[in-house]
Amino acid sequence: METVLSQYAWLVPVFPLAAFLILLAFGRGMKRTGPVIATLGSLASLVLSALVLIEQLGGADEYNNGFDWIQIGGYTLTVGFDVTNLTALMMVVVSLVAFLVNVYSIGYMKDDERISVFFAYVALFTCSMLGLVIADNLLMLYIFWELVGLCSFLLIGFWYYKPEAKAAAKKAFIVTRVGDVGFLIALLLLFWYMPDHDLSFAAIANVFGQTGLITEGITTLIAILIFLGAVGKSGQFPLHVWLPDAMEGPTPISALIHAATMVAAGVFLVARTFPIFEASPAALDTVAWVGAFTAIFAASIAIAQDDIKRILAYSTVSQLGYMMMALGLGSVTAAMFHLFTHAFFKALLFLGAGSVIHAVHTQNIHEMGGLGKTMKTTAWTFAVGALALAGIPPLSGFWSKDAILAEALHDHPALFAIGIAAALLTALYMSRLFFLVFAGKPRKGASGHESPAVMTVPLVVLALLAVVAGFVEMPFEGTGWFGEWLTGHAAAHEGTALVMLVSTAVGLLGIYLGWLIYVKGAIPRDAVTKRMPWLTRLLERKYYIDEIYHAVFVVSLRAIGRAFDAFDRHVVGGAVRLAGGAAVWTGRAATRMQNGQLQSYGLYAVIGLVILAAAIAGRRFW
Amino acid sequence: MLSSYLTMAAILFCIGLYGALTKRNAVIVLMSVELMLNSVNLNLVAFSKYGVVPSLTGQIFSLFTISVAAAEVAVGVAILIALFRSRGSANVDEFNEMRR
Amino acid sequence: MGGFYIDWSGELVAFFAFAVVMIVGAVLMLTLTKVVHMVASLAAVFLGLGGMFVVLEAEFVAFTQVLLYAGAVTILLIFGIMMTDHQAVQREPVRPAHEIVSAVASIVLFGILFYAIRTTEFAPSAPPLQAGVDNAMEIGKQLYTQHVIPFELVSVLLTVAFIGAIVIAKKEAE
Repeated sequence: METVLSQYAWLVPVFPLAAFLILLAFGRGMKRTGPVIATLGSLASLVLSALVLIEQLGGADEYNNGFDWIQIGGYTLTVGFDVTNLTALMMVVVSLVAFLVNVYSIGYMKDDERISVFFAYVALFTCSMLGLVIADNLLMLYIFWELVGLCSFLLIGFWYYKPEAKAAAKKAFIVTRVGDVGFLIALLLLFWYMPDHDLSFAAIANVFGQTGLITEGITTLIAILIFLGAVGKSGQFPLHVWLPDAMEGPTPISALIHAATMVAAGVFLVARTFPIFEASPAALDTVAWVGAFTAIFAASIAIAQDDIKRILAYSTVSQLGYMMMALGLGSVTAAMFHLFTHAFFKALLFLGAGSVIHAVHTQNIHEMGGLGKTMKTTAWTFAVGALALAGIPPLSGFWSKDAILAEALHDHPALFAIGIAAALLTALYMSRLFFLVFAGKPRKGASGHESPAVMTVPLVVLALLAVVAGFVEMPFEGTGWFGEWLTGHAAAHEGTALVMLVSTAVGLLGIYLGWLIYVKGAIPRDAVTKRMPWLTRLLERKYYIDEIYHAVFVVSLRAIGRAFDAFDRHVVGGAVRLAGGAAVWTGRAATRMQNGQLQSYGLYAVIGLVILAAAIAGRRFW
Repeated sequence: MLSSYLTMAAILFCIGLYGALTKRNAVIVLMSVELMLNSVNLNLVAFSKYGVVPSLTGQIFSLFTISVAAAEVAVGVAILIALFRSRGSANVDEFNEMRR
Repeated sequence: MGGFYIDWSGELVAFFAFAVVMIVGAVLMLTLTKVVHMVASLAAVFLGLGGMFVVLEAEFVAFTQVLLYAGAVTILLIFGIMMTDHQAVQREPVRPAHEIVSAVASIVLFGILFYAIRTTEFAPSAPPLQAGVDNAMEIGKQLYTQHVIPFELVSVLLTVAFIGAIVIAKKEAE
């Protein structure tokens, strides 16, 4: 089929960019219209990307276009865009969530002084994220990759007058930088080893698809380094520490950047460069195990947290771990499917949490309660999101998690066990969160009130999507077209019935446990705490990862920094001061010598003569 | 014998030098300078007798020195008197015109 | 310099006598407080030097020395003192650092000179000059033949200095 609209796909990131430029230039005077412009920009992106997706669903060919950017000797840097099924899907996800978050933010950020700045940042982020998605080569992707990192930094630190926000922004920037360095090195290695230094994804797929062009050791190295970048961006262990702290930013930002889009960029990157990983079994294993460990590790921390957004943040980390595990198992389909559904229900959960915070002005779940009665829309949509996350059929999360677990069972039973355990923990912490916030009696008189329509409508839309998004790929005969459309081969469906049963049972068990503990009180809440206080402390303190990093990296780096600073201040600076001081001092002394007294001058002459004579006489001795 | 005369001249010269550098009265400074000139004369005469090439030239040289020194003392004392008239002092350390 | 062998000749005795006079005079010149006494001790030095010239068989130079230095220059200096602050007494030193450094520099200079004198090998190519008999005549001959131009120049210099001194000394008096 002809590609008509795909030719204009490059316009998708341009709309938000235009909005960003307008807001940047005239933002100060546009407190009312600024948000509308940004929202319209993202709406335009959404419409166009939806049209492109429809065209792609209709079977249009992949489209690639671009132009030469810089010529360096015989090498040409190109700028171009790629419309494939994968990028078309990602574009829709990103622009849809961005649009809904824009709408939501009109209500959420209504009273903020710098609302136009906020929307400018969001527009810039949307533009960079869409650019990252459609970039047709790794270098462009890297540029947009850094741009989204910058936007993330700016938006986490949006309330820069809060010291925690400032610290969190710095932490996010620095920790992701660790991963980005790996990505950059991978980029340089690829540039070095690729024929014609071609960094486009098509060429990468071509080269790594054949064996022998690049040795396996280098392939593994490149893959691991790319994965390091993904680990930093997607908050995988051990670089996950920035993501929970990033919740200091405004809640819509948590939903957009730190749940639905940017953190998924790591998964997207691995999916985009998947031919490299496929060529290296060792790298795939690394990805799978890091993902699986992160999934269960973050889920266990989420159980012991008290901050509603931090729970969701750890849940995000855990779900991203699932996606990485799926990629490591070789299933781009399952990973992208989970990314797709997760984007909706996690954005929904964050926006719901934002609605709750907006109402009760606290983030501690122990200070909430009974909000289900006063905030009906929020409660219902939140329940949908929580059930989807917990993997209860027939919501979207069930299908995508099921696809991953089926892959795991097919390839690697150990990973399957870990996935099931993580699913149990997921259901448990979500039910704890939901019951503590919405069920029971209101605590501390925080009754709350429903949020305005501009905030609840996006919740409803996302809730609908969270329900239906899973139906695109069901493990039944004749329904698995999504996988085929996305990657060309369907997801594994062996033993699916077993997986479906087990995962549903585990999800229900987790929710039942949560209900027993937090609603019925059949199991005392401190049952674990009493018997194993160390375990609770360990989880509350997030396995002391932050403390370990502080002790190992921050303290030692600071000590090195101090040492260098002292060296610079005292040795280098001292030498400079000494040189300057010596000149000044010599000048002063010389000035004092010029006192106009004849006898002083005579004395100097005699001293000079003595020194000269002594030097001449002394030459005899050596 | 020569080195005895030379040593004698060196002693005189150094005493004169010390006086010229430290004495505050200008007349005494002038006297110290004369002392130094005299030590030179002693050297010249001593070399004229015991030098590597003994000759009368050394003595003639010292005669010239003596006459030039005489002229120098005359002019020096004249300058001193003029300075004393204008400044009311003959102390060397009160003159620092060279500084300006 | 090997053994310090001293040959007690008449010249040496006379040398030491005059040397003692000169050194004592020079030191007294530095240490005395009254200016007039200083001039007197300086005259002693000049006389001692004249004697030493005699020992060196330079009678004409010796007489010139006594006439010019011990006579004219000393008188000139006394006049200079009289016409400035003749009551002046050397005050206590007010520049101790300056004096100490000067003393050290002088002593070190003397040390270097002494070292140079002791280490230099003076090897005369001819026996010492015996100019005692016709000393004045010889000098006169040379002055009017070999050194006649410098001699005339010195006379010019003396005239100029003489006139200049009068001009300088008189200028302010007007």
